[in-house]
Amino acid sequence: MTALLIWEAAYRFVGWRSYVFPAPSHVLDAVLSMLNIRTAFGEPVKPGWPWPTKGNVVGAVASGPLIEALVVSCSRLLIGFAISVLVGVLLGVVIWTIKSVDQLLGPLFLGLQTLPSVCWVPLGILWFGINERGILFVLVMGSVFAIAISLRDGMRTIPPIYRRAGLMLGASGWKQYAYVLLPASLPALATSLRQGFSFAWRSLMGAELILAAQRHGLGFLLEIGRSFADVAQVVAVMMMMVIIGMLADRFIFAPAERRVHQRFGLVVAE
Amino acid sequence: MARPTSGILRNETSAVSARGRLTLSNVSKNFDGTGVPAIQDITLECQPGEFVVVVGPSGCGKSTLLNIAAGMLKPEKGTAAIDGRLIQGPGPDRAMVFQDHGLFPWLSAAQNVEFGLKMAGFSRADRQQRVAEALRMVHLSRSAGKLVHELSGGMRQRVAIARSLVVDPAVLLMDEPFAALDAQTRTLLHQQLQELWVETKKTILFVTHSVGEAVRLADRIIVMHAHPGKIRAEIDIPLSHPRDIDSRDINDLVHRIRREIEDEVNRVNANLAPEDQWKPKAAGDLVDCSANLGSGI
Repeated sequence: MTALLIWEAAYRFVGWRSYVFPAPSHVLDAVLSMLNIRTAFGEPVKPGWPWPTKGNVVGAVASGPLIEALVVSCSRLLIGFAISVLVGVLLGVVIWTIKSVDQLLGPLFLGLQTLPSVCWVPLGILWFGINERGILFVLVMGSVFAIAISLRDGMRTIPPIYRRAGLMLGASGWKQYAYVLLPASLPALATSLRQGFSFAWRSLMGAELILAAQRHGLGFLLEIGRSFADVAQVVAVMMMMVIIGMLADRFIFAPAERRVHQRFGLVVAE
Repeated sequence: MARPTSGILRNETSAVSARGRLTLSNVSKNFDGTGVPAIQDITLECQPGEFVVVVGPSGCGKSTLLNIAAGMLKPEKGTAAIDGRLIQGPGPDRAMVFQDHGLFPWLSAAQNVEFGLKMAGFSRADRQQRVAEALRMVHLSRSAGKLVHELSGGMRQRVAIARSLVVDPAVLLMDEPFAALDAQTRTLLHQQLQELWVETKKTILFVTHSVGEAVRLADRIIVMHAHPGKIRAEIDIPLSHPRDIDSRDINDLVHRIRREIEDEVNRVNANLAPEDQWKPKAAGDLVDCSANLGSGI
């Protein structure tokens, strides 16, 4: 809050130009205008402030580009991340289980994990075209290897005694996976999903920025801001991206990871 | 145990009292394929209901021996059999208690005990009854719902013992189960284990590096030496169970057996080439741990 005030004050006193660097009030303007609410906090108040121009408020807000973009981006994220988790967990378990496959694919996965996810965009376009599937392709490729690698690394830290204890108590074959290795890998899984999510979110934003598919996500809103030289909108959308990433981590992935670690006694419960 | 028991575990074991003859014949195992074998030509028979303790220094192959009996390792030469059946792999007739308990941290104490029953496909009602009985036997009924990291070291080991007993094995294999515990807890668990053994009459093959622990618990002590791992002596302990753990008898016996072990070592060494000779060092496991029985070792 203090930082925002200093930022606003700096804008007012130093005299940056709003088309180069916006003040927080401009960013707020941009957010609200994407919600179909006209405010003009940064400028002299005009008639019609602060209500939507026409229709009822809820309907207008809901039909604004920001809500549409959020819905589109989050639905893509859910679908893409689900695919990514399924494939990534499977790959991770396979390379952890079968040494020769790990030797073959492990370095490849590690290499692909270091590849910036937007680099998958050209391939996505060529293989799938400028559409939903192209975007999902980029998202999945951008996060699946991170999930697989970090799950494998986590599973490597499972004490071998769990497997022996399981064998002794009759957990062999699929039972070993279902009742011993899978639960034993929960801390690794929680960590890898948390990491995979941030990769997925970044990949999705990159893909949406470049791939202007029929439905417009947050990334596309960023690109619109650029093409209209609307710095306030650009900054506003970037902040939305940060906020969504942080909220998901703070309220879903970090607590899940903490609870698993507490159950396993890996951290002291607060 | 003072309390009269009519538990499930008790009933089953007494119904098949002749169960649990563990036979190792001429077993050898060589891990690296070259050099000195980890264990060489071990022949050992545990009678049903016998408490056998294998004593030896670190690296004498006593854990290897146990793992072969458990079916976790395959011997290169020789055979391991239980009640006449060849041991091919881990099985429900043998349960093992590990030094670092090996409890599953994602399960509660009761769920850990229940695990083996679940794998064996017991019904839910049956499982609950047996788990309750097993936890009662190790005096942990009130800690049933606790997670592993909420239990003390001694409690964890007791849960591990309950988890092994609940599947009603013919033989209980114990791999230095009390080595990581403090002396007082260890003494307590020695007493409890004796009570459990008197009650259930399981065959127990117990591995330790402590002569004191061996004398407290064993019907028969097997002394092993390293490089290569071989049985060098067998000593019967003619005291009745349950034993008063701090009695003079046991103390005397520990000292006598330590001397016997040294004599045996010297006798064997006399017949060996210098590089094959083994001698307990002053600060070695064997001497160190048997020296002070009063502190519970």
